[in-house]
Amino acid sequence: MQFSFDVILHNLPYMLGAARFTLLISITGIALAIVLGTFICAARIGRSRVLRVLSGLYISAFRGVPLLVQLLLFYYMLPRIGLDLPAMPAAILAVGMCSAAYVAEIQRSALQSIPSGQTEAAEALGISPFALWRRILIPQALRLGLPSLINELILLVKVSSLASVVGIGELTRVAQNITGQTYRPLEIYITAALIYFVINFTLSQLGRYAERRLALT
Amino acid sequence: MTQTETSPSDPIMTVRGMSKWFGNFKALDAIDLDVNRSEVLCLIGPSGSGKSTLLRCLNFLEHYDEGEVRKDGALIGWQEGPSGPRKPLKPAALRAQRHHIGMVFQQFNLWPHFSARQNVAEALRQVKGLSADDANARALDALDKVNLKDKAENFPSGLSGGQQQRVAIARAIAMEPDIMLFDEPTSALDPELVGEVLTVMKDMAAEGMTMVVVTHEMGFAAHAADRVAFLESGRLVTCRPPDEIFGAEPSDARLRSFLQTYRERNVV
Amino acid sequence: MEFDLFLRYGPDLLKGFGITLLCWIIGSAGGAALGFVIACLMRWSAAPVRWVLGAYIELIRGTPFMIQLFLLYYGGPYMGLVLTPVQAGITSFIVYGSPYFAEIFRSGFQAIPPGQIEAARAIGISEFTILRRIMLPQTLVLITAPLTNFVIILSKETAILSVVTVPELLFQTQTMAAETFTYVEPFLALSLFYWLLVVLTAELGRRIEIRATRHLKRAASST
Repeated sequence: MQFSFDVILHNLPYMLGAARFTLLISITGIALAIVLGTFICAARIGRSRVLRVLSGLYISAFRGVPLLVQLLLFYYMLPRIGLDLPAMPAAILAVGMCSAAYVAEIQRSALQSIPSGQTEAAEALGISPFALWRRILIPQALRLGLPSLINELILLVKVSSLASVVGIGELTRVAQNITGQTYRPLEIYITAALIYFVINFTLSQLGRYAERRLALT
Repeated sequence: MTQTETSPSDPIMTVRGMSKWFGNFKALDAIDLDVNRSEVLCLIGPSGSGKSTLLRCLNFLEHYDEGEVRKDGALIGWQEGPSGPRKPLKPAALRAQRHHIGMVFQQFNLWPHFSARQNVAEALRQVKGLSADDANARALDALDKVNLKDKAENFPSGLSGGQQQRVAIARAIAMEPDIMLFDEPTSALDPELVGEVLTVMKDMAAEGMTMVVVTHEMGFAAHAADRVAFLESGRLVTCRPPDEIFGAEPSDARLRSFLQTYRERNVV
Repeated sequence: MEFDLFLRYGPDLLKGFGITLLCWIIGSAGGAALGFVIACLMRWSAAPVRWVLGAYIELIRGTPFMIQLFLLYYGGPYMGLVLTPVQAGITSFIVYGSPYFAEIFRSGFQAIPPGQIEAARAIGISEFTILRRIMLPQTLVLITAPLTNFVIILSKETAILSVVTVPELLFQTQTMAAETFTYVEPFLALSLFYWLLVVLTAELGRRIEIRATRHLKRAASST
């Protein structure tokens, strides 16, 4: 069988349409992860021992279980506990909660890489703890953590393909469906791979640009 | 331009018209220099004058672009041949040349996962193909020469800077080189550790080792060197016996101002 | 929770775990080996080779593992490459992991101060010997942590192989769930199992790292 560009051209609109859902899952996923992850990070480095232990468990558990298994568990568990979410929000929730565990660690290491002398200097000047966090620590942590956060987003674009397993019509699922109709796996999956690559390449270039712009020299 | 006045001509290395560019920047400009057998030649000059680059061209760690560097008549680094673009020597041939040229670095550059003895023995085994026992025996001899036999089993992280630099010297002399290159060997050391390294170097000089030393230690240059070469902006300004450099008012204005700055900085 | 369920399906689950281990170990070892070769080529080969390898690294890292797996398993036959699910799984696993391993080795190489390599060159030690005796021993110690980290990530990625019917642990669990109409408990138990596996592997990696860096710490503390 000859490699057919017609098949690609014919199906490209459908695949690009599906790629929007890939982006939707990953972007809402990372937004959720940043909010949730910041709270978990705060709990992890905070004063309360209970919160430290709990956040530690959260991070360990969500990082220790394959995301695909988490997705399946969510898929079957949510109805059981009376949360009847549609498939898409459920998938976003699962992806976001898993990613939050990684984001929490990104924020923590960014915070820890700020030299403690800066805090001492602020304290010596009589700057309040609140102002210290708001004006000095968090802006730097975001800058320092930004490359890792963009990496995490790229990761989410890739892992969003797992949502195909629970029936969400994102790029991988649609590619599977088209393959089922056309019997052209080579053309379709190469196209899907290229779409993923273009998205991630764009994101990584954006990340590099942002890193340069925000670099403290 | 001042090379001519040195007398006992038994050069082990000859540098002729050597130039070196970094991009558009001419780091070395038509250097002519002889290194005589068993002499100690110190290279001094302000930072950025090209003295380290000159030293590194002598064993081809830097590729010089024009001119020649020869040791015992053999062209260093480049293939001998007709004019035109030169080709670098085959790696094995370059390595063979380097076996006879020892080098000591400012930052010691010991291998941290080897003990002092292993650092010295490594090249003996890998390059000279000695057995482990022979290499170790030779390594201990070399460490003995730098007064570090008792530290043979220490790892670099367990040695002071001065001790590390002496291990690095032992590593080089164990290879029995014909000539030793020192690239600011004491610049990374705390002041109180400089002396032990200079002592070892003076001992080596007394035993007749040919040495080329890039240094900021004017005391060492004045007392241990046979000749001192002064570089500035990639040019070899002058090369004379130390008493002519450091003695009466030097004739060259640039040398005079360099030494003046140097003396002002080091007033005790 | 019905434990007899797990008893009944015990042998299948055990077999599934065996396949998971097989794919994980061969995939990691093969990926690391390929990654090491890539890292070496990126350091020592000519520009065109580096350029091709750079594109390979970017492409593999920019696309989901699942797509790579589908491409090999479903697309392979159209290129004359007919593989069993396990073969396709392990092969794509090796390919998928190799650029990440290559990056780990590259960063390890870079962390060695260039002066050390220069010193070796100045004595006339050959490039291969420098790699073997000076760089590798230090690199391996330096990269123990990222290496175990990535091997742990791979342990979780084995679950994805179930989508092309590799009979590994998740696949067996799904089969069991479908046949018995119980879903939550099996997947909950499976989650706990993976978590345990990951935590234990991380602990093992930590011990290896402590052991590997012990001589450095001891030497440092004696000053």
